[in-house]
Amino acid sequence: MSQLEFAHVTKRYGNLEALSAFSLSVNKGELISILGPSGCGKTTALRVAAGFESCDEGRLIMNGHIISPVPPHKRNMGMVFQSYSLFPHLTVTENIGFGLEVRKMPKKKRDETVANMLDLVRLVDVGHRYPHQLSGGQQQRVALARALAIEPTVLLLDEPLSALDAKVRIEVRDEIRSLQKRTGTTTLFVTHDQEEALSISDRVCVMDKGVIQQVGTPRDVYENPSTNFVATFIGETNTVELNGAEVFVRPEHTRVVFDAEPNSYRGIVRSTAFTGPTQTVIVELSVDGRLVRATSTNMVTDNWVPGQEVGIVFDHVLRHTNSPA
Amino acid sequence: MSELDFPWLVSPDLRENVTGGPAGSRASSTSQRKSSSLVLPLVPYFMFVGLFLAVPTVVLFTKAFRPVTGSTTSAMMEAMNESNRSSFVFSLKLSAISAVIGAVLGFVFALATSRIERPRRLRNLVTGFSGVAANLGGIPLAFAFIASLGAQGLFTRILFHNGIDLYGMGFKIYDFWGIVVVYLYFQIPLMLLVMMPAIEGLRPTWREAATNMGASRWQYWRRVGLPILSPSLMGGTLLLFANAFSAYATAYALSSGGSRLVPVQIRFYLQGNTITGKGNLGYALAAWMVLILLFVMSGYLILRHRAERWRKA
Amino acid sequence: MKRSTPTWEWLVIGVISAFFIVPMLAMSRFALQRVPMSLLGRSTLFKRWNIKGIINTISDDKFRPAFLMSARLGLLTVVVVLALLLPTVLWLHLRAMKWKMAAEVVSLLAYVVPPIALVVGVSGAYRNTFPWLVSSEYGLVPLYAILCLPFAYRTLDAGVGSLDLHTLVNASRSLGASWTYTFRKILVPNLLSAILTTAFLAFAVVMGEFAIASLLLKRTLPTYMVEAQGREPQGAMAVALLLLVLTTVLFMLIGRIQKRLPNSTSQEIRVSP
Repeated sequence: MSQLEFAHVTKRYGNLEALSAFSLSVNKGELISILGPSGCGKTTALRVAAGFESCDEGRLIMNGHIISPVPPHKRNMGMVFQSYSLFPHLTVTENIGFGLEVRKMPKKKRDETVANMLDLVRLVDVGHRYPHQLSGGQQQRVALARALAIEPTVLLLDEPLSALDAKVRIEVRDEIRSLQKRTGTTTLFVTHDQEEALSISDRVCVMDKGVIQQVGTPRDVYENPSTNFVATFIGETNTVELNGAEVFVRPEHTRVVFDAEPNSYRGIVRSTAFTGPTQTVIVELSVDGRLVRATSTNMVTDNWVPGQEVGIVFDHVLRHTNSPA
Repeated sequence: MSELDFPWLVSPDLRENVTGGPAGSRASSTSQRKSSSLVLPLVPYFMFVGLFLAVPTVVLFTKAFRPVTGSTTSAMMEAMNESNRSSFVFSLKLSAISAVIGAVLGFVFALATSRIERPRRLRNLVTGFSGVAANLGGIPLAFAFIASLGAQGLFTRILFHNGIDLYGMGFKIYDFWGIVVVYLYFQIPLMLLVMMPAIEGLRPTWREAATNMGASRWQYWRRVGLPILSPSLMGGTLLLFANAFSAYATAYALSSGGSRLVPVQIRFYLQGNTITGKGNLGYALAAWMVLILLFVMSGYLILRHRAERWRKA
Repeated sequence: MKRSTPTWEWLVIGVISAFFIVPMLAMSRFALQRVPMSLLGRSTLFKRWNIKGIINTISDDKFRPAFLMSARLGLLTVVVVLALLLPTVLWLHLRAMKWKMAAEVVSLLAYVVPPIALVVGVSGAYRNTFPWLVSSEYGLVPLYAILCLPFAYRTLDAGVGSLDLHTLVNASRSLGASWTYTFRKILVPNLLSAILTTAFLAFAVVMGEFAIASLLLKRTLPTYMVEAQGREPQGAMAVALLLLVLTTVLFMLIGRIQKRLPNSTSQEIRVSP
């Protein structure tokens, strides 16, 4: 059932429409990512949900009530920001307990809740420390605990991993997902990193220039992109001309074979790369000079050499570029 | 590949940093860190300050501990006896009150200015003028006040025409409150200069996080905004205090009223020292000033560090 | 979340600005209108506005030397301050981070020793051994430099701190540049904002410095203004007003320039000790 609904929300800044008739229904207990490049409107959508931006048109509905006019501090949504979200003058314990103190929770219960939260994010011993004494990953976990402590109706995450180191990013990402599943909190996760979005979401909402391109499960969005934008934004894509039509093909569906095989297109190997789990071969098609990438697991032992004449087979067409969106 | 391959490579001192130190900093300069070659280029700076600040201060203190002619106690003690103490009390009171009022008004001024986005020139004008008013010294400012609120001042005259006889009521620009008003002319801008960076250092995410967790505007200020600003607020007030306490030019220009302030008193004692033989008293008063300011500025420094540590968090 | 009409902000700014503007208006009236206060009334409000008072002062044969002396002292102080602090701060950031705290504390000592105490101490210490310091006008320069240290150190420290100093220096040196070349072509241009701010502030401080100059019986612009107040009050008032206005314009100019320079943090002109 829908917990949060954006109903034709439009938000303008001057002449620019950051959100155009944005309609999205977020189900209870799900983690949905809003994914897109910089400036696509994803952060605007989140801020509208939080109440930091108003809707020029359309409405925001939560649990059946219209909350567009409700001020942000009354919406009971927890938010985690990209950086600098912890209050520097308060300890970790005081930070996490902030929302509870505002709600006038009695001290004993507050302490208990904070302790539970610290346990939840696996930071039991740092309660007395100050934010500047913690690492980036630890800070974000505290921010998460703080947002969850108030038992929010919806959890809003604004690119929480962008400021973290690569390895820490994956750890915190997995932790967010496991926490979300454990507490069953409805979560809106904004990011520009598609790998992040695909790996932890129940559903993904892909956006570009203020407009929703597609909403679906990670698999849907990857295997059946509804628009050209989604096809090229998510994963890697080869653009080739097959049978007179221009199509998209994923590298994993692109196979390098020996020149003489039937049903193959001719090409010359440009370069190869070994990335550990996979290997990539870049081939220049003889027919029109376009470059295609072919990836395979490194179990395939064929060793292609730059300059070699090869054949290319396309096992599966993702989408025709001229198909209607 | 070692540092020898790249003799020009400058590696920073290793700094302990929770999120990881700068990449590539090697500890090969451990021995170098302790050696004197590190300090050598700093010598001119320290020597300059030593020569032109430390040595004079030491000399000042040695003279201050000598007795005033005709008595046995050191001038330092004498300076604090019943009759002499009054000028200190006056100066301290004046400095404290102008500091507190200036701090409050300056903070409010800074807050208001930081929130105005249009016209864009306004902020530049306000900070530019504040830079001038806080640093140009007391003479032009004292003149400005004499012109407006002095016995022959424009504003005094306007009020007189409208039935209010300021001076008849006992107001004098040379009076305690008159001097406080004049001092505010440079106290308020100084506070603005101190608070602007602090206010702009309040990250919007803190405000949004607080709001998001249910804090109203007032609660935000009470629990987050003001606490974070408090080291800067207190530090700024201390700075204003020190500023007022040391002010000489304004006090001098306001002549009769200013003469009750310690800096002018010192001059009085020193100028006539051959006649009154009380030169050492002047030294002692100056030495006491230094001690008081030392105390105040230490507090300021500590608070400033606290404020900056938070701003970086 | 932001209210669209900032009403209380404008009210506050208006009231406090009036506090600053009104006295300056009074100064202008005094400087430019040759009507004595006792005769000033509605009928005489617009009579006899002229610049006679200003002309008298500028042509006064004591004005020019005082003004020029202050200007000279100002320039010399700027040179001394920059020559002393720029290498020091750069060295501190490059190699000697451990000494930063000490250097910073030392820079604030000028605030601990008020001008009067400083003069008294300098006089006592060097009157016999180094009389030039006390007798010559230019002996004021080192004292003025000390006076400027607090904000100069802070400004330059902040400026250098905002650069990625090691990266810049290493990049420049790896391409073959010498230290002086690096300083000239890489460091100074990137520090221009901080340097200019320091220079202008120091210059302003010297132009307005009264205590030390007066106590050491020197003839600078501020001492002239005080002395002239007795003889030619209109002129003195005019000079004071001009000084205020011109320095404000100067500071606003720095503000504008700062925005156009690379690596300027908007905090520079507001950096106070």
